[in-house]
Order: sequence, then C-alpha cells, then structure tokens
Amino acid sequence: MPRFEGLRRFFRLDRAADVERAVGDELDFHFDSRVRELVERGMSPAEARQEAERRFGDLERTRARLEAIDRERVGERSRAEWWGGFTQDLRYALRGLRLKPGFTLGVVLTLALGIGANATMFGIVDRLLLRGPAYMNDPARVHRVNLIRTLQGEERPGTNTSYRTYLDLLGSTTSFDNLAAFFLPKLPVGTGEEAREMTLEVVTGNFWQLYDARPVIGRFFGPDEDQLPTGTPVAVLSYGYWHSRYGAHSDVLGQRMRIGTRDFTIIGVAPRGFNGAGLEQPIAFLPLTAGAVEMGGPPDLGTTYSWRWLEIFARRKPGVSVAAATADLTQAYLRSYASQAEQQSGLTPAGITHPHALAAPVLRDRGPRQGDDSKVATWLIGVAAIVLIIACANVGNLLLARAFGRRREIAVRLALGISRGRLLTQLLTESLLLAAVGGALGVVVAQWGGNVLRAMLLPDMEWTGALADPRVLLFAALATLVAGLLTGLAPALHAGRSDVAAALKTGVREGTYHRSFTRTALLVIQGALSVVLLVGAGLFVRSLHNVKTMPLGYDRTRVLYVNLDMRGESLSTAEQALLRDRLLERARSTPGVEHAARNMTVPFWMTMNQPLFVAGIDSMSRLGSFDLQAVSPGYFETMGTRILRGRPITPEDRAGAHVMVVSQSMARVTWPGKEALGQCVKVGADTMPCNTVVGIAEDIHAASLKDDPGLTYYLAMAQWRPHRGGLFVRARGDATQLVETVRSQLQGLMPGASYVTVTPLTEVLEPEMRSFELGAMMFTIFGVLALVVAAIGLYSVVAYSVAQRTHELGVRVALGAQTPDLIGLVVGEALRLAAIAAAIGTVGALVAGRWVAPLLFNTSPKDPWILGGVALGLLGIAAAASLAPALRAARVDPNVALRAD
Amino acid sequence: MAENLELMQGTLDLIVLKALVWGPRHGYAVARWVGETTDEDLQIEEGALYTALHRMETRGWLEAEWGLSEHNRKAKFYQLTPVGRRQLRASTARWTRYAQAVFKVIQTA
Repeated sequence: MPRFEGLRRFFRLDRAADVERAVGDELDFHFDSRVRELVERGMSPAEARQEAERRFGDLERTRARLEAIDRERVGERSRAEWWGGFTQDLRYALRGLRLKPGFTLGVVLTLALGIGANATMFGIVDRLLLRGPAYMNDPARVHRVNLIRTLQGEERPGTNTSYRTYLDLLGSTTSFDNLAAFFLPKLPVGTGEEAREMTLEVVTGNFWQLYDARPVIGRFFGPDEDQLPTGTPVAVLSYGYWHSRYGAHSDVLGQRMRIGTRDFTIIGVAPRGFNGAGLEQPIAFLPLTAGAVEMGGPPDLGTTYSWRWLEIFARRKPGVSVAAATADLTQAYLRSYASQAEQQSGLTPAGITHPHALAAPVLRDRGPRQGDDSKVATWLIGVAAIVLIIACANVGNLLLARAFGRRREIAVRLALGISRGRLLTQLLTESLLLAAVGGALGVVVAQWGGNVLRAMLLPDMEWTGALADPRVLLFAALATLVAGLLTGLAPALHAGRSDVAAALKTGVREGTYHRSFTRTALLVIQGALSVVLLVGAGLFVRSLHNVKTMPLGYDRTRVLYVNLDMRGESLSTAEQALLRDRLLERARSTPGVEHAARNMTVPFWMTMNQPLFVAGIDSMSRLGSFDLQAVSPGYFETMGTRILRGRPITPEDRAGAHVMVVSQSMARVTWPGKEALGQCVKVGADTMPCNTVVGIAEDIHAASLKDDPGLTYYLAMAQWRPHRGGLFVRARGDATQLVETVRSQLQGLMPGASYVTVTPLTEVLEPEMRSFELGAMMFTIFGVLALVVAAIGLYSVVAYSVAQRTHELGVRVALGAQTPDLIGLVVGEALRLAAIAAAIGTVGALVAGRWVAPLLFNTSPKDPWILGGVALGLLGIAAAASLAPALRAARVDPNVALRAD
Repeated sequence: MAENLELMQGTLDLIVLKALVWGPRHGYAVARWVGETTDEDLQIEEGALYTALHRMETRGWLEAEWGLSEHNRKAKFYQLTPVGRRQLRASTARWTRYAQAVFKVIQTA
C-alpha cells in the first residue's frame, strides 16, 4: 500500500478531501472546547451549543471561506514544490550529463537520428497521404475522378481523360456541385534568350470554387474566360513566381507574359502556399481552353475523345454518399464511352473493357493509382519507427547500465529519505532531457534529410523544411516525448525495485553481476530489428540492381532524345520534313555521336495507338494494346534494339510498298505458330494499303518495367508522318556527357523562336527507378544505422559484463584457464545473443516480406542469400563488438583481480 | 457594556498576530484570549478570527502545525513566522501612530 499511497499523493488525488477534513477538524475542536467551557460554567449542553454558535457567526459561510483559502494555499504550495523539484531535477540531470560528455553525446546522437528519421518520413507521408491540398474547401467531399477500364484482363485505373469526356461527365452527373478539370503542362514562357520551359497549371473556370482561396491582388478568372475554342489569354500568377520574378510588385496586374505562342494578361495573384491541385506549385494558372491551345491541343478539342490529358476533381453535394457519387459517375462514363465508341471505330467495346468510374480520394496516392514511391515511403515510416524503437532500446539500455552503476548512490539516497516518487521523476527528467536535446537535433536532421529525400523522391514537390512546418514540429515533439518516456521506463522500473539494504551491504564485487534480463531482452530486440531492416535493405538493393541491369531491348545509357518545340513557327509539312532531315544530318556529323535516327514516340513518355486490321482476326484490340513507333533508317542501330529475323527499316522504304517491323511478342500474339514475315497489317482503317511485315525485332519495355514487354510495331517514317516526331542520338560513350554539344549543334538549325530540348534516356527512365532507389537508399541507411546502434549496445553490455566479472575471470585464470578459453567465453556469450536475435529477426523479415514483395523487382523476399548474409553479418558484428572486451578479459591478472575490493 | 466598535481588517490581523506573540496557540485559544483581553468590547465574530488565521497562513505570516491540546485532542496550532513577527511590529507602530494622532485631534477640541 505505501506505493499506492505515494502514487495518490503524486497525482494529488486527495488534495480536496484533505483540506475539507482539516477545516472540519479545526472547527469541531473549537466548538467542542467552547461547549465544554460553557458547560463547566453551568450551562446546559444545548444552551452552550447555541451560545457557541452565536459567538462564531455564520458557520457554513466561514467553513466555505476557510476551505477556499486553504485550497488555494495547498495548490500554490504544491505547484511551487513541483517546480522547485523539477528545476532541482533538471539541474541534477544536467550536471550528471555534463560529467559524462561521451555518454551524453552518444545518447543524444542516437535519439537525434531516430527522431530525425521519423520526422523526415512523417513530413513526406504527410504531404503524400494525409494533408489535403492547401486552401481546399472540405477536402473530404472532393474526389479525384478515376476512370477504370479492363484491358487484357486487368483493371487499368486512369485519371487522365479528354476534355470531351469531362464535358460529358459535367453534363450528365447530378451528385456533384462542382466538377473541375486541370492539368500541369510544361510550356515555354518568356521571349528570346529568356524563354524557359516552366510548369503551368491550366484549370477550368469553376476550379477556384473548390477552394477558399482569395487572390492576393487582382482576381481569378471565371467560366466566361474559359470558353471554346481558344479561351481568353489571361493568367493568375502563383505567389512564389510573383515574388521571384516580379518582386511582389502590385503593378503586375495588366502586364503581359508570353506563354507558348500568345501574350497572356496577368489578372491576379494566388495566395501564399496555394498550389492548385497538386503538390507542385506552378508559376501561373491559365484557363484550360486557352492553355490547351498552347499545349498544341487539337482544334476540335470540345468534341474529340482522342486527346487524353486532363484530370478531374468533383465535389459531392452535401448528403450524397461516396458510393452514390461513384455510381452516378459510372453511369455518366458509360454514356460517354458509348458516344466515344461512335467516334472511334477501333475502340474496344464496353463489353470487354467494363468501363466504370470511381470517386477516389483527392490525394492521388490515396487512390487506386498510388505511386510505388509513395508505397515505399509508407513502408519507410514504419522503418523509421523501428529505428526509433531501436534507438530507444539502446538508450534505455545505456541508462539502465548507468542505473546499475549508480545502485549504491541510489540506495544511499533512498536510505537518506528521498521518496521513490521523487527518484522516479528524477530519472524521467534525465531521460526526457536527453530526448529533448535529441529531438531538437532531430529536427535539424529532418530539415537536412527532408531536402535530400525530396530531391530524390519528389523533385517537383512544393516544400517547406521541417523547421518551418508546424505539423512536422508537432510530430517531432510527440516522438521526443515518447522517446523520453520509453528510454526512462527501464531505469525507472529498475530503481523502483531496488532493495536498499541489499545494495548497501554488497561490495563492488559480490552480487553486482546479475545478468539483467531486461538488458539482454532489449539487446536481442535491437539485433532482431536490425536484421529485419538489413534484409529489407538487401531486398531493395537487389531490386535496384535488377532494374538497372534488366535488358530493356534498347540501351539506356548511350541514347539521347531530341524533342522539337516549334513554338508557333508555322512551317509547311514539307519544310517540317526538311528541317528534320537536316537536324538528323547535323546530329550524325557531331563529334562523339555514333548514330542518329528519327522517332515518333519515346519509351515511358508517350505511346501512340492506331486501330490495326489483320485478315482473319476480328478485333486486334482484343489481343492487346499495340504501340506504334515510326522510325527512320538506322533506328535499330541507334537504340541498340536487335533485329531477330528479316530486315530493319531501310532508306529504300520510301515510295514503294509499305513495310512494318514487329516485335517478337507481337508476332507471337498475332500469328501464333505461323510465319509473321510477309503478313499484311493495315494501320488506321480497313481500307488502308497493306504494311508487309519485313522484320522481327526483339521486345522492348516501353510502358512498364514490371509487366511483360509491350507489343510494338515499327513503320517507316517516310511512309507514315515524315513531318513529325523527334530524334534519338546514340553517343559513343556516356550519353549524358553529350547533351549540351548536341543541343547547341541542333539549335543552330531551328528557325525563329522554336527550340530543341535534349534528354538522356536515363533521365526518362529515372522515375521508374525512383521507388527502388528510395527503398535501397533508405533501408540501407536505416539498416546500417540500426546495426551500428545495436553493435554499440552489444559492445557496452559485453564490456560491462566483463568489467563486473573480473573477479570470476581471475578465479578462472588462477584455476588454469587459457587465453582462448576466456576469449571463447566472452565472445560465445555475445554470439549466443546474436544468434537468438538473428533467428527472431529472420522470422520477422519473412513475415514482413509477404507485404513488401509487390514493391520488389524480380527479387524474392525469401532470398536465402540475403537472409543468410544478414544473419551471418550480425554474428560477425557481434564477434567484432565483443572482441575488445574479450581481449581485456584475457588480460585479467588473477593477482590483481582476486585482491581487489 | 460599551457600544461595540467597528473593526477594520488590518486591526483584526493585528489582534490575531498579537495573540500569538507568546508562542503557538490553537484557534480556540486565540478566540478566548481575544475575548478575555478586550472584555468582549470588540464584538468580533469568532468565524472572522479563523478566516484571518487561515488568510495569514496563506500569506506566510503564520505557520500551522497539528498538535495535541491540553485535553489531549488533535488541534491546529498557529505560530508566528519571522515575516509575521515583522508584520506585527510594523502594524503595531502604525496603529500607535494613528491612534496618537487621532487622540491629539480629539484632545485639542
């Protein structure tokens, strides 16, 4: 019971009752004494009582006043007492930490890394998955419209659709009070030398109604400025661009800025932090129809289904459920799909694709199209939490070791009358102080780590550092508090248990070597968690390696893509074709260039599809999606794509018979078991002339690294659209070295304001690698961090146990134990712990592997090499960490050890 | 019995402080001492005495401790603190000056 009493006193549950009792006792005493005196003087007890009350005055009012006065005093005193105790604890803790700078530094750094890692990952996941777009009005009611079709037996959610589909949905849904569309194109902004490609956001006139944003100056545009066919050329600047480009001057209103081919009039500035639909802040917002013109949209924008680009936000009316909204969208989409089928004869029928819609959460990564990088980031927050747990376990362990070392000090203090409650708060103060310093440093880590991660993971994301983000700061504070309590837990429990008499009686030698179960358990947990993280690191590193070395059917490191932006320069088709021929010639004669060829599409950036017709096959689209590529002679050498049979496209494929090269998979799918060479394929319509298959090329991955290679066919550029497309340039060595040379060589040929951009294919593929790079990097960092922390923990435990066992070891030496015996004794103990940790960790990794498997690339989560390697690694680290203490044990001099104490 | 005199707050405090000048006393002892010393001329409600005691305890002029009374009952004993003692001296001086001044005025009439 005394401990319970202490707890009650600690939380001051009985303060009010105490006060009432004390006042009551005092008044009772007064009345009893007075009555006794009056009775002695001869009054009857009843009279005496009455007289006493008369003299006293209003008893109940006085009682209430006394209680009020006392309550205030008791409250004030206990606050003062608490504060005094707290400052004393703080001073005491500070002094203790100053005396052991090495220990303090180690603990603070461990916690800083743990808390920093968590704050970093929280900042990213918060952006991707938790926080709605800035300024959005009731984001829970706003949905990102997903249009889902089934292709080749697989549901393909898509958010990008045509303006026509948007108009269809707008016209025939009833569940929404707003349906707005947007897109973020990169467009040339400025004139002459100043012209740059920048990110803009084109939005429908009703887009602003989704937000509670008010323009800083000027106004937003409305639906009347967003009308077909070409919209009104007005622009609303983003806050950031207004500052960086215009110095936040209010006279920007009415100024013009060149975007694409037209001058746009600036009519307003969006508020600070307003990013529109996404995470990225564009430089300006344009009416959708006006922006579509500058993006090179089709003239029949309002009617054609073939240009799929924009995304749609829909806000449910109040009272409409998400399911009802989804059903409404699906009905509208089905009608729209039927109308699309009338326009596009080759469209796969609705009976096969089962088109339906989904009112998904407004954040892309919460919907069905969650990016792999966001999934990895979600995993990483779990990983970061594990790192923090390991850090806490380690710090708890160190504090516990200190508590063992301070057994006698603590016992003395207890004997001198310090209450266990005070002792407990003292120990907690120490761990909380350590955590607070670690947390402050952790925020700095998060600020730095966030910048690094952002550069890797979300290069376009609008970002405020951890130091300026109140949500991240709050999270860091919470993590700090949890870390402080967790680390203080073990030593506090230990101190609560300690037996004064026993601790005071024992000497340094006897009885102090208890193998602490808590310490051992903490150590094993650390080791096991390190194993889990390192296995994760191994899996992602292997995935990254597999992705990087995976054969794509073309060379990624040696090829540059040259894109032409005509920027309103109107050239005839003949001039366009001529320009491209001259560019090709110039590229080929540039030093360092091995080959160059023209192309129509770019892997992972754009695909082109045309209805195909083959005799004897009802519907080619049932067989799959066929990607069109149009190429000039030399294309296959340029890309490094092998021709397996037949021949490539040659200079002779011009005027004569139309030809086609098909990929191996396309040949197999279209003509199973038959000879593909010589077959006839009609492109675009049944009435077109035959394209005779003249060659079979190896498969290429152009849309997805994970799925099977796509079905690709190649037409001769000269026979398809000789006036369109860009160039691929093959370098003799590393293509990235050649970017600027090629650009300046080719730019010289470009007329007027038109220009070329040159991009290495590695950069095109970069987003596909990102999730693996992120996983590999972060798991490795966290895993190594965890291992180092665990190794330090192991070292300290073993070193401590050797120091405590000096006497025992001395006895062993005296009895004839040899150096190898002693080393084996110490190292063996460490290895046993490591083996247990490795076993537990391996099981944990196998369990967790089931969920992480979809994020890996051609890598089994049960990879025995990785699992075995990590387990062996842990044993090796354990041996290394225990070697130094083991050698110290071997040097124990029995004469000294046995005489000590 | 003379007519009752109105009592000012500071005066009540002064009287209670004075009651404790000879050592710790419990509330009843204070009440009795005040009653006897003033011959009940100052009609002080005893409740007000307790209020003054508790208020001065809060201010730190008095210190309280539970002890045993002459009849072996648990009672709350009050005792002057150094601050309370200083306060008593200052109040006494002030009151004396005040009374003398008023007295002088009355005498000259």
